[in-house]
Amino acid sequence: MEVERLAAALAERFGVKARVERDGGLTVPCSAADLAGVCETLFTAYDCAFAGLIVEERDGWTLRHLFYSERAIIRVVSRSDRPTFPSISARMHAADWHERAAEDLFGIAFSGHPRLGEFVLHEQWPEGTNPMRRGFDVRRPSPRPDAAAGWAPPRVLHAPGAFSMPIGPIFSGVEESVHFQLETVGEEIVRVIPRLFYNYRGVEAIARGRTIAAVLLLAERFTGTASFAHATAFSRAVEAACGVAVPVRAARLRAFIAELERLRHHTAAIHGICSSTGLAVAASQAAILEEELLRLSAGLTGHRYLFGLAVPGGLRRDLADDDCRRAAAEAGAIARRLEGLERSLARSSSFLDRLEQVGIVTADEARRYGLVGPVARASGIDRDLRVILPYGGYADLGLRVAREEEGDGYARLRVLFAEARESARLLTALADGLPDGSVSAPIQPRAGEGLGWVEAPGGAAVHWVRLDDDGAVAEWRILPPSFANWHGFHLAAEGFAFQDFPIILATFGLAAAENDR
Amino acid sequence: MIALVLAFLGVIVAGMAVVLALPDRYVPRAVAAIGSVAAVLAMWVSGAALFAGNELHVGLWTIPGLGRIVLGLDRMGALFVFAAGLVFLPVSIFSAGYLPRFRGHYSLRAFGAWYLAMFGSIAFIPGCGDVLSFLVVWELMSITSYLLVVYEHERDESAHAGWLMLVISEAGTLAAAVGLLVLAVHAGSLEFAAIRAGNGGIGDGARWAVFLLSFFGFGVKAGLFPFNLWLPHAHPAAPGNVSALLSGVILNVGIYGIVRVNIDLLPPIGVGPGLVVMGIGAVTALVGILYATVEDDLKRMLAHSSIENMGIVAVGLGAGMTFLAAGRPTLGAIAFVAAFYHMVNHSVYKGLLFLGAGTVDATVGTRSMDRLGGLIHRLPWTGLAFLVGALSISALPPFNGFASEWLTLQSILRSVELSAIGVKAAFAVAGAILALTAALAVTAFVKAFAMTFLGHARSPEAERANRAPRALIAPMLILAALCLTLGVTPTYVIPTIDRAVGEYTHASATDALVPPFFLTTAADTRGLPAGFVADFHDLGAQTGRSFLPGRGLVVLHRGGKENPVVYAMSPAYTLIVLLLMLGLTAGTVWLLAARRRRVARGEEWAGGVRRLAPEMTYTATGFSQPVRVIFQAIFHPTVEEESREAAAGYFRLAIRRVQRDVYLPERLVFRPLARLAAGISAGCARMHNGKLNAYAAYVFIALIVVIAVGIIVR
Amino acid sequence: MSRWVLAGLKTGIVTTGYPREEESAPGVTPGRPRGGEVADPAKIVARCPSGAISAAGGGVVIDRRRCVHCSACRGDLPWEETYEWATVAAAESGLGRPFRGSLHVLVVDAGSCGACLSEVRQLNNPYYNMHRLGFFITPTPRNADLMLVLGPVTAHMHRALRVAYAAMPGPKRVIAVGTCAASGGVFGPSFAAGSGAADAVPVDVVVPGCPPPPLAVLHGLLVAAGRKEGAG
Repeated sequence: MEVERLAAALAERFGVKARVERDGGLTVPCSAADLAGVCETLFTAYDCAFAGLIVEERDGWTLRHLFYSERAIIRVVSRSDRPTFPSISARMHAADWHERAAEDLFGIAFSGHPRLGEFVLHEQWPEGTNPMRRGFDVRRPSPRPDAAAGWAPPRVLHAPGAFSMPIGPIFSGVEESVHFQLETVGEEIVRVIPRLFYNYRGVEAIARGRTIAAVLLLAERFTGTASFAHATAFSRAVEAACGVAVPVRAARLRAFIAELERLRHHTAAIHGICSSTGLAVAASQAAILEEELLRLSAGLTGHRYLFGLAVPGGLRRDLADDDCRRAAAEAGAIARRLEGLERSLARSSSFLDRLEQVGIVTADEARRYGLVGPVARASGIDRDLRVILPYGGYADLGLRVAREEEGDGYARLRVLFAEARESARLLTALADGLPDGSVSAPIQPRAGEGLGWVEAPGGAAVHWVRLDDDGAVAEWRILPPSFANWHGFHLAAEGFAFQDFPIILATFGLAAAENDR
Repeated sequence: MIALVLAFLGVIVAGMAVVLALPDRYVPRAVAAIGSVAAVLAMWVSGAALFAGNELHVGLWTIPGLGRIVLGLDRMGALFVFAAGLVFLPVSIFSAGYLPRFRGHYSLRAFGAWYLAMFGSIAFIPGCGDVLSFLVVWELMSITSYLLVVYEHERDESAHAGWLMLVISEAGTLAAAVGLLVLAVHAGSLEFAAIRAGNGGIGDGARWAVFLLSFFGFGVKAGLFPFNLWLPHAHPAAPGNVSALLSGVILNVGIYGIVRVNIDLLPPIGVGPGLVVMGIGAVTALVGILYATVEDDLKRMLAHSSIENMGIVAVGLGAGMTFLAAGRPTLGAIAFVAAFYHMVNHSVYKGLLFLGAGTVDATVGTRSMDRLGGLIHRLPWTGLAFLVGALSISALPPFNGFASEWLTLQSILRSVELSAIGVKAAFAVAGAILALTAALAVTAFVKAFAMTFLGHARSPEAERANRAPRALIAPMLILAALCLTLGVTPTYVIPTIDRAVGEYTHASATDALVPPFFLTTAADTRGLPAGFVADFHDLGAQTGRSFLPGRGLVVLHRGGKENPVVYAMSPAYTLIVLLLMLGLTAGTVWLLAARRRRVARGEEWAGGVRRLAPEMTYTATGFSQPVRVIFQAIFHPTVEEESREAAAGYFRLAIRRVQRDVYLPERLVFRPLARLAAGISAGCARMHNGKLNAYAAYVFIALIVVIAVGIIVR
Repeated sequence: MSRWVLAGLKTGIVTTGYPREEESAPGVTPGRPRGGEVADPAKIVARCPSGAISAAGGGVVIDRRRCVHCSACRGDLPWEETYEWATVAAAESGLGRPFRGSLHVLVVDAGSCGACLSEVRQLNNPYYNMHRLGFFITPTPRNADLMLVLGPVTAHMHRALRVAYAAMPGPKRVIAVGTCAASGGVFGPSFAAGSGAADAVPVDVVVPGCPPPPLAVLHGLLVAAGRKEGAG
């Protein structure tokens, strides 16, 4: 009913004929001229959150602007023969990076965007290289520069004694490759410019024309710390394209493994936060739990990072009910030790001092930047795809969504702990209620498109595929949670001191590999 | 002796004439030659008094109605003249290389004449034996130094700074003059000797008045809190060589005034004045070093640091005065020695640092440390000399700052021997402040040296800096050598200064501090436990007996029987051990490693993809930002500009932020004074309402007041 | 503070005995398929999505540098629960023993998915604790003896990797960690990703695996340090 009301309102205001999809979402075809107006109406009048932009080059250009309404995904579809579209970033900042990426990868000109240019592809690429365009040879070797990077973003801070400090991409211990430029007058970081895509492997470009099985390998391996989530999201997209419903047991087992992944991911994030504050014992305690979860995962599924399980149609292998129950019990024990850690941390004032009132993101900022996952939930935005677009039986599980209001580092930590606790509870509930049956439905590939989503550990993850007539993957797009949250990271770090920077970074639990793709 | 004085006077006067007659082209070298000769003569005369005891006391002529003009140079005065000579000699040589930059723009002849005149007046101030000549020569010094500060009169900065300095220091001089006149009136004579002889009956109120007037009056010149607003403006605004003199010499003259009146002429009043001096000194030191730490202008930073050092000197003086008043003359003597030792040291290293800053300014064209950096490659000798100065001022052994600052702190710790709890507490607070000051001084000078000479050049000017001519480098190296010499020879410096202050303390710091270790006769070891003497000889304290003159190289404060050694140090032995250890380490490393391994040189590591650009390195402002944040309550920065521009929403184009630290004395004293003055003027202005009746009323009221006063007075 | 000390003491020692003794706890390794005689080689070869399995004389051989542990062949091939997977890249020339004492390790993420990175991070946790064996992570190449390269070496990290290698003082060793770093894995070679660490820097030791478990990486470190033999 919600989507019908929305459709009626948009029809009245813009004269567009919206269509309700099988998954309960809404497709809103709209002209390029109306695009900005429709998007803004959704964002401001109907409180929809911007979810991402999917670009397709197919007989001209098709843009799908995705929004989350309260209970559905809204796709605003606009078409044009030429790669020119109006920019909506000035009205909803969340679209900023999506438009920049599309400009860089597809060569689409977004009129009115204040800051286009080098983004995904770094300066070593010749002007006009658009790897996502049809006809781009993904096998051609990349240019390899000998000269140091000439990247010099315009300095924003003008103050006596101001300077900019470069960090990375190879910077600290065992970290992903990210480059930061921090503008400061000393002590306080006034502006943060993260430069990402050092791990850009062009997975969406090289997937083109590959078999579903081959693309599944990419979906599973482009980000190793949330691999099951993305493999599931991709599988769900393929299933949607082929009109296949997975067996209930497979859906429940997927949820079970996804919660195991979330528990491990959050434990790792907590480990990261503890070690960023230099609290060695707490970091070790969290690291022990993380390793135990990895071993538990390997014991249950044969892989420490849960690779090789999700396939379109269900799961590659069945898991024994007893094994699942035992795993759930062990995970429950680990979660209880995690609670003990949480209690100890809450009593360590030196630890809290580094997190409380540090790295604040307000609810309004989180909304405007379209932040997702635990980061958004710590700033008062309790959107969780497991609840608003339930899948895999989550609707029956009575999921309790963690939410905090402060938006500071401690709020993010509390959300992580709460979600880990909830995951352990779900594991038990799922293991106790596993239905019998097959875990795999046969996939009959057919031409078409499909949207698949999951609530990955880092937040909402959406995959979109178009399959060829011969069943190969024609197009594949990922909207990973880290892309949204990296965009907003600077909000948290700005205005705080240098020494807070690594801590704030740790509380965001970001994955560069997931963002870079 | 008097002949030498006349020769000095002749060199100054004739030199002025010569300089005025010469074409500008030859003036720099003439100034250098004449200034050097005059400096040598001044040191000769003062040296004779200081080292050999040939004090001067000559009545010149009598001015009817005012009294006799007296030329008198005692050891105390000679100390100041000698210290002035120590700075004037290298600065004069420096001028030969420094002055040509002004040629064709400002008159070099005028500079030369004022320069010599200022030297003459400074050298004569400690030689004035009466109030009248003292005030006249003092004014001469004030005016010539003003003229030298505003030498680059086309720069607004110079003109404004000179004016500020003149106004504030004249006010101070007026206060000090009143104090001197109170003494003179009481003694019935303008001669210092007569004042000294006839000061017995001054009442306590008058003593306090004289103390406060002279301390704060001369304190203006010495840069003491809170009337030092002018100093951070005037010192950097002056040409480089003049800055060195302002900080290295003229500040001392202010101290001289305080010392002459309060230690020599005015009989003690109890511990009060000493504690006031110490308290003001501590506050001066802390405020000075705080502003020095966050300052970006290299010369202004040095000026703030001069304030800090004058504060340390004042703490030493105050401690000495307190000890004397509390009946501990030996401790008083030690504190005085520490204070004057520090003053001389400050003259030397601050002269050095200002010459270094002047060289940087002259070769780069900017004094902003944010825009300097990497100069060690272009100015290696300047960098080395500046480093020695920075180490000295940071009180690191074996350089001179360490010896005197250590002695000052030790003196303060001896407050345990006092009995009054309040006094002890005051000493403890002053000591704590001094310790904090010392730590901040290291921060400040790490910044000054590193941001100027190390790292990347942060501006094209710094990258293209000219090389420094030898005439600029030689004087800095002389001063650097002096820093080391004064640092490792405290056992020679202490007795010299002790003889100068001994006239007032009537106690020997030398005997208390520099035991005669070289002599093993019974007379020398009298009062010392035999075991202790043996122990010290075993430690090698007598090493060098056969070739070292004097009392050896160990400073040691003797206590009672229970603790024979209260504190001890020997920068000379420290230096020797330091060199041995360095040599040993270097030799070991060379033996073990260097011969077999090749040194590979590569680009700086900057994270992988970028080359480190100058604008990506720490600026001076950035380096000191934590101090600014911690002490925000003192700096009280005013935001002059704070703006954000955005293209749309969160697309930011610019964040502009300009803050200015408000100088504490300006906020606490001068702004309220200015507001008060403005308020009074506004009140007066309101009286001028243009109504005839009102004016008639004013005249009538005034008349009544005058009559009433007349009646009361009669 | 004492609370944390107590908590630490209460946990006791969990550290593995490797390399002194075998580690046999369940889940320390995902294991990997083993080649050899099989009934229907062609079927198994066709099932492998990464082209790591090829038929050879009535059986199959597995190219360790390409296997991504997708478990498509699980059930068809025997599974070995091993972890000493590191091999010397140029086996004939050998590595020698250039190092004495403890070694500092620089970790470079050249496009890894994060799983390899996470496994390397586990080496610092109490279970594996690489410090006890004299290995320390360093953030700068300036004092690094060993370099772990993770990922297929993306175009964007190519220069950074080479600059980091050049900034390391000799003697130095490079360990390619994971299938991506060994061969480019599922990503390379392509326009954006290379075909492994050897593309950019000379590789001395290869630790295959997707991802190699912590003990495999530890084995690689020991091999590079000349303290263990490489796998065949």
